[in-house]
Amino acid sequence: MADVTRPGVADGAQAAALGAPGSALTIIREPSPNPVDDGSEILTVNFGPHHPSTHGVLRLVVDLDGETIRKIRPVIGYLHTGIEKTAETLRYQQVVTVTDRHDYLSPLFNNLSYALAVEKLMGVEAPPRAQALRVILCELCRISSHLIWLGTSGLEMGAITMLWYCLRERDRVLDLNEEISGFRMHTSYIRPGGVSGDVTPRFLEMLDTFINTFPSSVDQYEELLTENKIFKTRTVGIGYLSKEDALRLGASGPMLRGSGVDWDLRRTMPYSGYEKYEFETAVAREGDCYARYRCRIKEFREATKILRQALDSLPEGPINVDDRKMLPPPRAELDTSMEALIHHFKLFTEGYSPPVGDAYAAVESGHGENGCYVVSDGTHKPRRVKFRSAGFVNLQSTETMALGGLVADMIAIIGTVDAVMGDVDR
Amino acid sequence: MTANTALESLVIDRGISAGDDYITIAPGAIRDVLLILREEGFTQLLFISCVDHLNRPDDRVPFTGGDQRPRFELIYEIRDNQRRSRLRVRVFLLEGEVRVQSVHDLYGPANWDERETWDLFGIEFEGHPDLTRILLPEDWVGHPLRRDFPVGGETVEFSEDHEEWQTSPAQA
Repeated sequence: MADVTRPGVADGAQAAALGAPGSALTIIREPSPNPVDDGSEILTVNFGPHHPSTHGVLRLVVDLDGETIRKIRPVIGYLHTGIEKTAETLRYQQVVTVTDRHDYLSPLFNNLSYALAVEKLMGVEAPPRAQALRVILCELCRISSHLIWLGTSGLEMGAITMLWYCLRERDRVLDLNEEISGFRMHTSYIRPGGVSGDVTPRFLEMLDTFINTFPSSVDQYEELLTENKIFKTRTVGIGYLSKEDALRLGASGPMLRGSGVDWDLRRTMPYSGYEKYEFETAVAREGDCYARYRCRIKEFREATKILRQALDSLPEGPINVDDRKMLPPPRAELDTSMEALIHHFKLFTEGYSPPVGDAYAAVESGHGENGCYVVSDGTHKPRRVKFRSAGFVNLQSTETMALGGLVADMIAIIGTVDAVMGDVDR
Repeated sequence: MTANTALESLVIDRGISAGDDYITIAPGAIRDVLLILREEGFTQLLFISCVDHLNRPDDRVPFTGGDQRPRFELIYEIRDNQRRSRLRVRVFLLEGEVRVQSVHDLYGPANWDERETWDLFGIEFEGHPDLTRILLPEDWVGHPLRRDFPVGGETVEFSEDHEEWQTSPAQA
């Protein structure tokens, strides 16, 4: 029976009325399956999609018994933009612009996985200088992606200061992006066949300063968080994901390494010359939110090491493959060479057509394995482009981690999954 | 890969495409093949996806055998972490028989991947516990990554001639 004198308690029709679609927080109170038992009831709470701690538009339908999570169901798709369909309507060199935009926190990794897949189809490999520049920009991107994660996660767990410090450093990474490509976020810098432009002396200077000063910034973050009592209370032992579960659920990136699996594509299946750099993979055994935090902090330091090595050993030479059928000739040649003019015209009116086949390339992004699967049917537009998103897979382990925990811990758990909804929904 | 007679009897075709190893198998054998491969060490499923070969301009589907030309190609990309190798398992489906067995219990990530493939391509996975739309709204009609699903099919305000050029069959 409905008790109208008690607000907020409803059953049957009233519950349906309360749970009107579109309301930000819908509470449906179901009668307890075993009312005499201990008086506990299962409360289904709709969390999101528009909530500051959902990193975009993630919706979670949570069954609560008191404050304990009994069931959790992530609902995604609120940021689905049909990027894969769009990619099928664009020419190969145009698809780069949409790859920037699905995982908007790590555009360089998306560029790179797409570029590697197309290069595999074309049977070419980027020259050494382009590969080193790719590594530099990708490690910068890893830093900026982790900085956003650290800042927002700190914010969610009450350490508001983190956001200011992290965005301060991230702005310097974006300055570097701007200096080398003209764009701050969606750079489209890495393209099939090479990169879009060479470094400027100012970029090298800025990068050098950044590498020298960034470790002290990481020290600063650690001072604020690593031994912070409140932060540790909210993360140590929370959101446990065992090694077996992490492998079973296909998790990747800091989610997998935080559970004690030493798997980093940069080391295990190297690409773009990563085998030349000395660095340690960040692995922690504990499998809780704190372990994932420590993995990412370590990756800051390792990324800085890779940046230093790549900057010091930056090889000379061309930044694009020498293939006129794939990349336009230098501007100066257009004035003197008829061939160059024809190539230029053909490339920008029709594009290039890889041979029939399909290729998959994967890179280790800040979130995990960022892959791209491209099918060519021999025309100048791809038949199919599939983005293998790390967040889409990692998000499936939310239920395993959150089950039996408290609802307040859910925020920390979702935070350390570090799913970017643009990447999950594509 | 080690020689495995049980697996070899199920493989229709094998080869290398742009440097990636692949095998082609019959739609009915997907569970058996993935079970064998998982035992062999391919414990990680990277993604499940689909390719629509409708009106393919080169008039060639990478498929050997069978009279009728299949329209859909299902892709299961798996990885062996120990040997650090990847393998692509291809399944070809005829247009009228878009139905395979689910592998959600063999590989964890398959659950959402199969839902996505159903959502965007309309491939049915038998035995999947919750085969519902995942990326698109529940009331969506059609499967947009099929090649005959028009780009820009919904009305766009203030665009004058989108229906003529975007939804014509030649553009699909």
